[in-house]
Amino acid sequence: MLALRHFLSLALQTLRRNQIQAVLAMLGVTVGVGALVTSIALSRGAQQAINEQLMAVGANMIVVTSGNYQVERSQDAGAVEADHGSIEPSDSITPFLVRIPDSQQLGQSQNPRFLTADWPLSDAFSSNARTSMQSPRFIKAHYEDDPNAQHDHPTAAERLGDTMAGLGAAATLSVDDAQAILNQLDGVQYVASGVHENARVSIPAAGGRSWFTRLHGTEPDLPQIRRGWVFPHGRFFTQDHYRNTEQVIVLGKVVADRLFGADTNPVGETVELWNQPFEIVGVVGSSSWAAQPAAGDDQFDAIYVPLSTVHELLNLSMLNTITVTTRSAGETTAVAEQITAMLRQRHGISEQMPDDFIVRTQAEQVLGNGLPPQVARVVSGNMSTVDNITIEQISHSLERANATMMALLAGVAAVSLLVGGIGVANLLLLSVTQRTREVGLRMAMGARARDIASQFLIEAVILCLIGGLIGAAAGYLVSGSLEGLLQWSTSVSIVSMVVAIVVAAILGVLSGVYPAHKASQLDPIGALHHE
Amino acid sequence: MSNKVISLRDVTRVYQMGDNSVHALRGISLDIEAGEFVTITGASGSGKSTLMHILGCLDRVTEGTYELNGKDVSNLSREELANIRNKQIGFVFQGFNLLPRTTALENAEVPLLYSRPVVSVSERREKAMKALEAMNLSDRAEHHPSQLSGGQQQRVAIARALVNEPALILADEPTGNLDSKTGEEVMRILQELRESSGITIVLITHEADIAAYGTRIISIRDGLITDDVPNTPIGRSSPDTSTPIKQAATAN
Repeated sequence: MLALRHFLSLALQTLRRNQIQAVLAMLGVTVGVGALVTSIALSRGAQQAINEQLMAVGANMIVVTSGNYQVERSQDAGAVEADHGSIEPSDSITPFLVRIPDSQQLGQSQNPRFLTADWPLSDAFSSNARTSMQSPRFIKAHYEDDPNAQHDHPTAAERLGDTMAGLGAAATLSVDDAQAILNQLDGVQYVASGVHENARVSIPAAGGRSWFTRLHGTEPDLPQIRRGWVFPHGRFFTQDHYRNTEQVIVLGKVVADRLFGADTNPVGETVELWNQPFEIVGVVGSSSWAAQPAAGDDQFDAIYVPLSTVHELLNLSMLNTITVTTRSAGETTAVAEQITAMLRQRHGISEQMPDDFIVRTQAEQVLGNGLPPQVARVVSGNMSTVDNITIEQISHSLERANATMMALLAGVAAVSLLVGGIGVANLLLLSVTQRTREVGLRMAMGARARDIASQFLIEAVILCLIGGLIGAAAGYLVSGSLEGLLQWSTSVSIVSMVVAIVVAAILGVLSGVYPAHKASQLDPIGALHHE
Repeated sequence: MSNKVISLRDVTRVYQMGDNSVHALRGISLDIEAGEFVTITGASGSGKSTLMHILGCLDRVTEGTYELNGKDVSNLSREELANIRNKQIGFVFQGFNLLPRTTALENAEVPLLYSRPVVSVSERREKAMKALEAMNLSDRAEHHPSQLSGGQQQRVAIARALVNEPALILADEPTGNLDSKTGEEVMRILQELRESSGITIVLITHEADIAAYGTRIISIRDGLITDDVPNTPIGRSSPDTSTPIKQAATAN
């Protein structure tokens, strides 16, 4: 188009000559394109936020726990009795038994998803299991393992005290196991081994103010696994701290708030643990709405100490847990299976014997929270089907809400674009009338109908493009300020801005078609003598 | 013998105005040869404007034939007519019809925008500048019409008419909006243009003293030619129409 510059200056003349109409017409296009860009930015932002939150919650996390109180009994309840004779149903120690339907039944009937547990189930063996032709499966667990259960006798922790309880006989995982998982399995991103204790931290300086909480002896890589973590004060302990078994401690937000008050920076202060001084190097909080610090939770009502220090002080060598993240959330199930196979081999467990550890994905743990323990166990016993559904359901419901908002904004965009298009068409019709003589002159000079038509089409497109460019810039700014002022997640994509500008150009063509056709069909003589 | 630029044979033009038929041209036969300066006079409503539109390929004959440069253009399509207007005819209007807020140079370029094959930007610029120079307007090239006098505006319009080097210039009351002194100046320019380049000029006017600049005066009345006489142009010695180029050479 060699004459483009000429037509560009003509379009700008039209703009200048009919400023109010041009501004109004372009305003519609601007608002439309701006709303389009903003709605795409908001939608993408929400999508990213959802993904980040799911990752922060730990959708890609696997936790391997020492010991296994959930021994599955298959087919015949009596066999369990033979294999694990140590757990006898009796009046004093009642094993933890939950009846669950087999998988076939689970697949066919939607409701109830699992049967209500009867617990204690003293006559479970005699009546239910033996007579049932459905061959129910049983999960058996040590009753002291149930955190919500009331006991009429002192538990191990109570009998032995915090410092003496140690890891117990069930500590089956070793530091070497953790190394093997990291080094030998595909799809593994980070591995952090851990020892978990209940402990009391106190501030000697403040007259011994103390807080009873959960202690995690762990590795410096843990923040890589806990993606939702933020450090309002200080930072996590380092490889140097870890290597030198230093007595440093990271407080969970809840612990820091209880001991020092909400707005105090406790980094550099000393707390006492196991009658030893520990220097505070950081406070850990959450960036995720899905996991806000609360008293009693496992992450923020907790303290973190280098595992090496814990091992040295308590003279221990084994682990309670190995926490693993996979490169993507979709790999967790496969990696979990590989971990199980590897650990069984490393621990020399024969085919008939149950695992001496438990491999669980984070989804199972999340699901277990807030459920009655027996139900939680049933759920986790059937996780292979449940975890995918649940994570999908969470994200689906979030996406549905997001889609509704997106549709609303897209509606605003569509209406604005329609109004803008009508405005541009109107402006051009006005311009055709004003410039009838000019059209006649151009025809006399040899302009063909299509030359005239393309002149007005170019004008319409230029007007809409100007509106569209302003709109795209406005959308960008609005998205930015929504993020800044309202903390909404937005993500402006270059593609969405390009698409919006292309939409504006198409709008220009559509709104220019009728005026352009009208101008091109003018009679040259009549047009020339038009006043 | 000599080459005819225009050849009309029994041309009629009838407009349908509701139930009435208006016979604007009732049968005009006319030959105009290259290098002639023909002025057509007539009262308002005589049909001279209709004749002008037909000569300018803006309108089509109802009956009869119109040959322009030996080619019958009576039944061409709109697009073909546009092409002929672009290449072979230069228009000069009473109201100048320059594009406002557009420089003299850009105004002169307009016909080139519609030329096929496409004329390049630099070539457009060059041709338009040359046409303005011929009108002694090179120092006004960047002026807008509002910054020019009426005479200068009409000279820009003539430059625009010349830019595509047409065979024929059609001028429709070119002095109508000018005072008599400026009108004379424009007429002299047209006269000199014909003499120097040999271009054919057909000019419509209702003023006898303007018509007197032509080498041939045709009078029209009620759609018919009533008079067609050779003329000795004002300021020129003989009614010589056959050697305009020679005259131009001696004039310089």
